[in-house]
Amino acid sequence: MPTDTRRISGPEISHSPYDYCLTPPIDLIGADKKRLDGRLPAQLRPLFLRAGVISQARGSGYIEVDQTKVICAVYGPREVLRREDFSLKGQLTCDFKFTTFSCRLRRQHQQDNQEKDLSVQLLEALEPAVCLQKYPKSQINIYVTVLQNDGSALSAAIICASLALASAGIEMYDLVLASSVAMRDALTIVDPTEREEEAVLNKTHKAELNAGSMTVAFLPSINQVSAISSDGEILCETLTKSMRLCVENCLKLYPVLQQALVKHRLDKQADTS
Amino acid sequence: MADQYRIAQPKDYYRQFLEKDVRPDNRGLGEYRATVMNIGCVSTAEGSSLVKIGNTTVMCGIKAEVAEPGVDGKNGYLVPNVELSPLCSANFRPGPPGELAQVLSQNMADLIADSQCVKLENLCVCPGKLVWVLHIDLVCLDYDGNLMDACTLAMMSALKSTSLPVVTVDEESGEIKTDPSSRTLLPVSCCPVSTTLIVFDNKLLLVDPTSEEESLATGAVTVVTEGKNVCSIYKPGGTPLTDKQIRDCIERGFIRGKEARSLIEETLCSVDR
Amino acid sequence: MASFIVVKKEDLEKKQNVEPCHTLRCLTSELGCLTRQDGSVSLSQGDTTSLAVVYGPAEVRISRELIDRATVELVYKPKVGLPRPADRKREQIMKSIFEATIITNLHPRSSITIILQETEDLGSNLACCINAACLALLDAAVNMSFMVAAVAVSVADEGQIKLDPSKNDEEKGRASITFVFDSVDLNVVSIVTSGKFSQIEYKAGLELAREASQKVFQFFKDSMSRKLIR
Repeated sequence: MPTDTRRISGPEISHSPYDYCLTPPIDLIGADKKRLDGRLPAQLRPLFLRAGVISQARGSGYIEVDQTKVICAVYGPREVLRREDFSLKGQLTCDFKFTTFSCRLRRQHQQDNQEKDLSVQLLEALEPAVCLQKYPKSQINIYVTVLQNDGSALSAAIICASLALASAGIEMYDLVLASSVAMRDALTIVDPTEREEEAVLNKTHKAELNAGSMTVAFLPSINQVSAISSDGEILCETLTKSMRLCVENCLKLYPVLQQALVKHRLDKQADTS
Repeated sequence: MADQYRIAQPKDYYRQFLEKDVRPDNRGLGEYRATVMNIGCVSTAEGSSLVKIGNTTVMCGIKAEVAEPGVDGKNGYLVPNVELSPLCSANFRPGPPGELAQVLSQNMADLIADSQCVKLENLCVCPGKLVWVLHIDLVCLDYDGNLMDACTLAMMSALKSTSLPVVTVDEESGEIKTDPSSRTLLPVSCCPVSTTLIVFDNKLLLVDPTSEEESLATGAVTVVTEGKNVCSIYKPGGTPLTDKQIRDCIERGFIRGKEARSLIEETLCSVDR
Repeated sequence: MASFIVVKKEDLEKKQNVEPCHTLRCLTSELGCLTRQDGSVSLSQGDTTSLAVVYGPAEVRISRELIDRATVELVYKPKVGLPRPADRKREQIMKSIFEATIITNLHPRSSITIILQETEDLGSNLACCINAACLALLDAAVNMSFMVAAVAVSVADEGQIKLDPSKNDEEKGRASITFVFDSVDLNVVSIVTSGKFSQIEYKAGLELAREASQKVFQFFKDSMSRKLIR
């Protein structure tokens, strides 16, 4: 790998100290029918949402789902710099990034394949909700940074980005909500943590037919699903069942998002007056 | 009306305030913005902190890895890098670090080297075999000027809160073992604090500039103090200053240093409890 | 074309015997060493040498255009390899120095580019680069509100202060400071420090460097008059 001359570099090869200790495989669910963090299989984690956290951005949002922390900024509508990118419809771009310290193992500064993939998924989830025809010749940029990842980062990012878009005053058909589930065999758990996500997709369990995770993005007031992404091998009927479960969970989050937006509006009004 | 005036004639706008020894945000010329600090906010990192100076927000995460030592056999590595992501301001675009980010990264590296706050030989796990690599990553979340001070404060408070898992190397087999349950605090011998001032209209000195003030500045001075010593004075060009003005900057640096150090201590105490 | 000049070498040698710590190393310059540039100079301070060239005022890239003044661009090329963050820091320091000295309002919507090539770093490299750049700007006849002279000092472990340190002095010493002075009031344009030092040492270094800076200014004047007389 060529060394990055624009950053201060350390030694070429280094390892995480946790490579040298055993991490026992975890059971998704204990004998008391509870998960590792004490939740029931269908229980969501507590959520904290706030808009307007970045002073320089047109709109911004911050979400905390227990230990998963995501921040998002929206810039634009602003001019498209390259001429050939001219279009009557506005452009939406998404940039998804994990900070280097956000996961158990250190991540690199450059965007890796997973991050590029998540950027696309995020874009696909949000694009149907934004009235892009109202922004000709311009672009709207969404930047998402995961400060700490403890599972369900994509769904947290979607909610956060939709809050940021709304607080930026970008015209939208609806707010976008998202929810994740993970499943193995007959068991389905909602809002999985990082360890649960990892356990589900663990290679040693590949023999099982039904193991994977999925994220659904949902527009509640027009009752439409804007994006589904799933990972792993999942039976068709489980998939439809899980999707319904995700949509239900999205609806539970709807008032939280609305409240955060209202609070942001009121705070802004109080500031100006 | 005032807003338009501010945009069209920013210098005149500022002059009218500064004549009366006050800044548009209601601060005195030598006054810092409110500084808020949170330590240990990211549990996936070995050390972390979040610092807000006014709107400027910087998060620091320290990820520890192990590597083979260099030729000297006992010195560890400290690798500070500043990331100015497009999230924090409209002036930054995605891609490799720009000039400002590189200069800030270098300033952080110089700060560690000048102050000797973390001695590289203290990062030795097993002489000749294994040393620690501390990846110090500073992510700017909101850019409203005076990033240098925010970065130093974030880096020092994160370093002070860093705890490393116990790693042992078997004398005979050379096998590396990590015990994640027991941790040791990173020895930090001193706590350098930086103070930045800008020169306005070639004569006035303003402490802790916002991004707007930075853009109007005709020069800047950063003084790093550590206890009763000056650790570094950094004045990259700009308006020539008299000896008295530089003495004033150093004086201001000492006052700020005292304040900031007690803030770090207080925050560390409140987190321990 | 080339003109070598040695400033007060006899004086320097005489002084070196008495007070070896308080003199500058021998300064030599070659103005107009390259022909295709608007200004060029190769400057040696003792064994440390750097090459500076200036282009401009010339056309500017649209993205960097400033409507009320010239854009000052500065590129620092290290001896080997690609520029690293440490080199970027040097660039930033020198760029802001020359943004302050050049009267940029005279040339709106144009660029003044300074390129510095590190040729040999045997101590006080930054100071040598700044002096070379200033001389190159003089050679290119760019309007400046004042000249700048850079002088480095190093602080040894026992607190002894040495002017214009060699590589060896820099490595052995506890700290080194580079001062840049303007030619009008001899005020401080730039300070770059590394290592720990006390305020007394700083003050002593400042006084020493300020005195030495006048010799550098004299050297600039001699070099220029040498060029013009020829």
